[in-house]
Amino acid sequence: MLETLLERFRQRDRLALARLVSLVARGERVEEILAGVGEAGKPARVVAVTGSGGVGKSTLVGKLIEEVRRQGQTVAVLACDPQSPLSGGALLGDRFRMPSRPDDDGVFIRSLAAAGGQGALAEHLAALIRLLEAFGFDVVLIETVGAGQGDTVVRELVDVLVLLLQPETGDDLQWEKAGLLEVADVIVIHKADLPGAERVEAQVLATLALGMGPVVPVLRISSRTGNGLQELWQTIADQPLRRGRQQSGRDLLRLAQQILAARFATAETSGRPELRQLLAEWQAGDITSSRAASALLNLLRPIGERLA
Amino acid sequence: MVESPPLRVVLAKVGLDGHDRGIKVVARALRDAGMQVIYAGLWQTPEAIVRTLADEDADWLGLSILSGAHMTLVPRILQMLREAGLEHVGVLVGGIIPEGDIPKLLDMGVARVFGPGTALPEIVSFLQQRSGAGHA
Repeated sequence: MLETLLERFRQRDRLALARLVSLVARGERVEEILAGVGEAGKPARVVAVTGSGGVGKSTLVGKLIEEVRRQGQTVAVLACDPQSPLSGGALLGDRFRMPSRPDDDGVFIRSLAAAGGQGALAEHLAALIRLLEAFGFDVVLIETVGAGQGDTVVRELVDVLVLLLQPETGDDLQWEKAGLLEVADVIVIHKADLPGAERVEAQVLATLALGMGPVVPVLRISSRTGNGLQELWQTIADQPLRRGRQQSGRDLLRLAQQILAARFATAETSGRPELRQLLAEWQAGDITSSRAASALLNLLRPIGERLA
Repeated sequence: MVESPPLRVVLAKVGLDGHDRGIKVVARALRDAGMQVIYAGLWQTPEAIVRTLADEDADWLGLSILSGAHMTLVPRILQMLREAGLEHVGVLVGGIIPEGDIPKLLDMGVARVFGPGTALPEIVSFLQQRSGAGHA
C-alpha cells in the first residue's frame, strides 16, 4: 500500500503527494516515507511567514504565490492554523485567502492543523519540507500559526523567516522585547497603505540599529495596492540559503528525533509488550528515569540492532 | 486499537451565491466535533473545489447551495471528482433544495442532503458513522 503510494509519488502523482503529506503530518511511517521518496534534485528555497493573528499572513502568502509563479518557479504552501486543545478539531481558513488557478500544477496549497502550537508542528515540519522538495517544488512557503517563542524553532528549519508587523502594533518598547525582531531575516511592515506605517518602520529601524547583528531588510508592503510585493520577493530570493549551510549536527539531530518519535508512536499504538513492561516498571519506581530512557532507546532500535 | 485520524472536510459554496451564514455555522459544529474543516469560502468554481479536495486529501465535501443551481453544479462536480480519481470523497449538499430534487441528487451519488432546520448533531453523527464504515 505504502509502496504503491511511493511509486506514484515518484511518478509525480499529486494525489499521492497529498496522501503522503497527510501521513507525515500525523507522524505516521515518516521513516519509510522519507526513505522512499528519494533525495531532492535540488534544494528548494524554504520561506516561513510569521506574525500575529490578523496581520495578513495568508493574504501576503497568496500574493507571494503570484510573484513566484511570475518568475516561472513552482511553489508549495503549507498553511498552518491552530487546532483546538479541547476537541482536536480545527477550522483551516487560510487557503480561502490564497486564490490560485485550479489548472496551475505549479502551485500546491495544503492546510495543516497545528496541535499544541508551533512546537508540535515543527516536529513534522522538517519531514514535510523534505517531502515537498523531493516532489520537485522550487519554493516552499510556510505560513506559521502565529508569532511567538516557537518561531525560533521554525527559523532553524527554513532558509528565510519573514516577520510581518502592522501599523498600530504598540509602542516602541514592544520591539525591545526579546525573540521577535531578532529571529527575522526580513521584516515586513504590512498594510502599509494604512496610516502609521512609517512610524512603525522608524521604530523598528531604531531598534535594529541598537543591535550588533546582521542588517535585516525592512520593507513597507501593501497587499491591497500591491506596492512593494515585487521588491519583497526579490529581497527574499536574495537571502542566502541557510539550511544548506546549516545542514550539520542540529538538522541531523532533529531528523533523528523525528524518527525516534515515530518509532515510539508505532510501538505505543501497536501495544508492544516490552514497552508496556518498561513503562510499568518505570511508573512503579522500580527503575530510575535515566535508566528507563536508555532502555527505551534500545527498545526502539530496529530488531537486529538491539543490544542484549 | 489505533485511533482514527480526524476527518478532513472541505466546505465550499459554488457559483454566484453569497449566503455564507449557514456554512459557517456548520463549519463551527464540525470543528467542535473534532474534525479538520477546510473552509474554501464563497464563489468557488467546480474546478477550484476539485483541486482543493485533491491537495487537501479530504474525506468529505460539504456544498452549500442556495441559488437554485444545484441540478447543474452538483452533477458537474461529481463528474469531475470521478475524472480526478477522487471518487472516495463523500459529497454532502446543504441549503435550499426542493424536495423533488433530493432523490435525483442521491441517485447521482450525493451521500445526503441536509435542508434548513437540520440539527447540527445530525450532520456530525452522519459523518462519523459513514466514515467509521469502510471509509479510507
